[in-house]
Amino acid sequence: MSMKPLCVKLSVQPSRGLVDEKFTVLVQNLLPGFQLTVHALHQCEDGHSWEAFAHYTADATGTVNVSQDPSLDGTYSGVEPMGLLWSLRPVPGSKSGLRMRKKNVQTPMVVTISVYQGHQMEGFLDRVLLASVVVERWYMAPGVRRVPITDGKLTATLFLPSGPGPFPGLLDLWGNGGKLVEYRAALLASHGIASMALDYLTPQITKETGKIVDNDYFETAYRVLEQHPQILGSRIAMLGLSFGTSVTLRMAVYSQVVKLSCAVCISGSHVQPIGGSVEEILSYFKKNADKTRFDENKQVICRDLLLPIPTDPSLKVDMGRLQCPLMLVVGEDDQNWPTYECAMDMKEMMERAGNSHLLTVLSYKNAGHLIEPPFMPFARASTFKTVTNPPTKVMVLWGGELVAHSRAQEEAWRKTLVFLRENLYGSMKHGA
Amino acid sequence: MNFCHLQHKAQVPGGVRWTSSCRPAPLLTASPVRALIDDKISIRGHFLPPRCPVTVCAQMQSDDGDLWEAFAHFNTNSDGTVNLTRDPSVGGSYLGCEPMGLLWGLQPAPGAREGLRQGHVSPSERPSTELAAVTAERWYMAPGVRRIEIRQNGVVGTLFLPPGPGPFPAMLDMWGMGGGLVEYRSALFASRGYASFSLAYIGHKDLPGPQNRINVGDPYFNSAFQLLQDHPQVYPDRIGIIGLSFGVYLTLRLASHSGIKPSCLICINGPAGSTIKLTDADGKTEQMENDQKYWTYDDQGNVSFRAVSLPANLSPESKVKLEHLTCPLMYIVGEDDLSASSIENANLIEETLSAAGKSQLFTRLSYPGAGHLIEPPYTPNSRASLWSVKPQKLVTLWGGHLAPHAAAQEDSWKKILEYMETNLRH
Repeated sequence: MSMKPLCVKLSVQPSRGLVDEKFTVLVQNLLPGFQLTVHALHQCEDGHSWEAFAHYTADATGTVNVSQDPSLDGTYSGVEPMGLLWSLRPVPGSKSGLRMRKKNVQTPMVVTISVYQGHQMEGFLDRVLLASVVVERWYMAPGVRRVPITDGKLTATLFLPSGPGPFPGLLDLWGNGGKLVEYRAALLASHGIASMALDYLTPQITKETGKIVDNDYFETAYRVLEQHPQILGSRIAMLGLSFGTSVTLRMAVYSQVVKLSCAVCISGSHVQPIGGSVEEILSYFKKNADKTRFDENKQVICRDLLLPIPTDPSLKVDMGRLQCPLMLVVGEDDQNWPTYECAMDMKEMMERAGNSHLLTVLSYKNAGHLIEPPFMPFARASTFKTVTNPPTKVMVLWGGELVAHSRAQEEAWRKTLVFLRENLYGSMKHGA
Repeated sequence: MNFCHLQHKAQVPGGVRWTSSCRPAPLLTASPVRALIDDKISIRGHFLPPRCPVTVCAQMQSDDGDLWEAFAHFNTNSDGTVNLTRDPSVGGSYLGCEPMGLLWGLQPAPGAREGLRQGHVSPSERPSTELAAVTAERWYMAPGVRRIEIRQNGVVGTLFLPPGPGPFPAMLDMWGMGGGLVEYRSALFASRGYASFSLAYIGHKDLPGPQNRINVGDPYFNSAFQLLQDHPQVYPDRIGIIGLSFGVYLTLRLASHSGIKPSCLICINGPAGSTIKLTDADGKTEQMENDQKYWTYDDQGNVSFRAVSLPANLSPESKVKLEHLTCPLMYIVGEDDLSASSIENANLIEETLSAAGKSQLFTRLSYPGAGHLIEPPYTPNSRASLWSVKPQKLVTLWGGHLAPHAAAQEDSWKKILEYMETNLRH
């Protein structure tokens, strides 16, 4: 009887998951001690290819379990269940400064996971492929509804969870890049929170009038949530990243209309001319533009623009007046905003005012500015198009180190969901 | 259909409409929200009133637009949660702790969706307040699985290939006299890494002759097996055959041919021979009305085909020469099978192999309370269904009781996959 060739079995469970769900990659029916490379390949919406890979050696049972076994080398090393996703990087020969962001949240991110013989470093397309499976990663759970919003001259998208509701609501704000970025709101709706992604720097109204929106734009967005028949008006949160935190803190503290159950501010600052318009905040940042630095790769470091933290109270949101729970997420290696310094200043202000029991600070060593939902590729720097007129393209240094930043994203997201759930679903404690 | 949408809903008592309260609706979660048909899911309710009666329902719309429903009554625990993996149902479509009970317990809903229900109330009662819902998708095909229609060398079927370069171990998949092409078991095999070929042999428009007869013979089944062997992405010496009902006879018959060397056979509730008299050496069959003398009826006029396949009623020349079998065989018995004499045929096969000194080839799985259609798990099951409308409406009995049949499907599927792993991959 002839020797049958190895019948390698590769499986990834689940083969269809939400973007923040873990998966298990299992390779079986190998010879003990067999050397192999597990490879991930993804082609994103703009056509660029991203890959990750890791070297493993099969154990005595002829198995490799990525969740339990150490990678010996590759785009990640050690035991990293999700390393094949967060260590994805543009394939050799790609443009520099790429950043992966999904635009169409109604389709999944498709990743091909493959197994190659031997410990390969490159040229995967020419190697002996042993097995390959396809994995889908979704931002939207089944039943989540995507609703474009144009009421009140807003440019927004609302994501409603499955079911009758009423659901707690959330206003989701990104930063200086502008545009309507939907994926985080879609993911939050998949966790039971009706979430509205709001474009506030490049909305239709600004394109038509040439004017940057002001506080009433955000109050309108809040009202749309509050009055929605499937949203519980008394349980609304705001989540902001970067410049989105400036808006969030301003609304949370000063708005007569916006009454938040809680707020999450990622990589942000309370430094802003209070009482001024949104446009005035942008100008304040630009005023200090001469403090921009460049690293050895000519990448732009903006963190000094807001330093030193002003002592003038008219230049900082009065954190002592905050009445709802606040979670601050800080990357200690943030090269774009002085997030750590601002978080410490906010903490001090709240301790003096006696409301620091509302504050939770998550601070991560070697994490950078872009702390996003987990298991997505990391960009230490990327090309950034400013929303100024005319727009300029620069290479911005966000900061962070691959492994630490990926771990920070995983933990911060998990804690953010717990925080939101406790404050939006749990029994009433503060504020509203 | 690629997948079905399943809505899980939680409902609680009280006339208070949830929208006017100051709490959001409770949160119902399912994990994973997108899964294969044979994957387990975990359904949980959070932020419900503590120690309170609640009903969790599942609803599914089938391909033909029928609504299927299942429901289970629980009492939430002191922290206001319900967890179907941990908590027992105290009434409804199933009892006790059954994580997948809302799926295998699905039954055709009475008329249009009744809507909402209160407390411990069955679906046909008055409307109440629906609290929360979650939608889950159940897929037959994993991403990357390829579905290929085969109309080649006269063979009619559908081939499912897993993603990847291959080659893959493979299965030839045959169902019963219901005819047509049943694809979903093959789709699931492909989702688990096996090339799988669903083969049509009766009741399909692309097969020759009248659709109510088998118009193909041994050469047809040989060609189908050959087709798999010749496929560039299939390991020619790692092919198994699975048959249900009449598919068992075809499986055994094919495997006992000298030219055919499958790696293993899986037989579910089917005969080792046929009542249909064979007219020629290549197995073309005659009219099937001969069977009717063995049909029995219950007092509702429902027909049981069971006696048709009693070994004593099978024509001697049709009985497969089981002593020629050279590969392992797993026979799965539903002990409450009302459509085939499964126990008797299992015994016959076992005895014949034993007499030939080949008892080590035989494995039997036997399930009390299970009926004829032992299919992949977590799919709804019926004890009877419409068999034909002409010349008169006839309902046939499959047998099986809900919970034991579901348990049989779950256990046998796991064992089938393990058996395939052992015999096709090692």
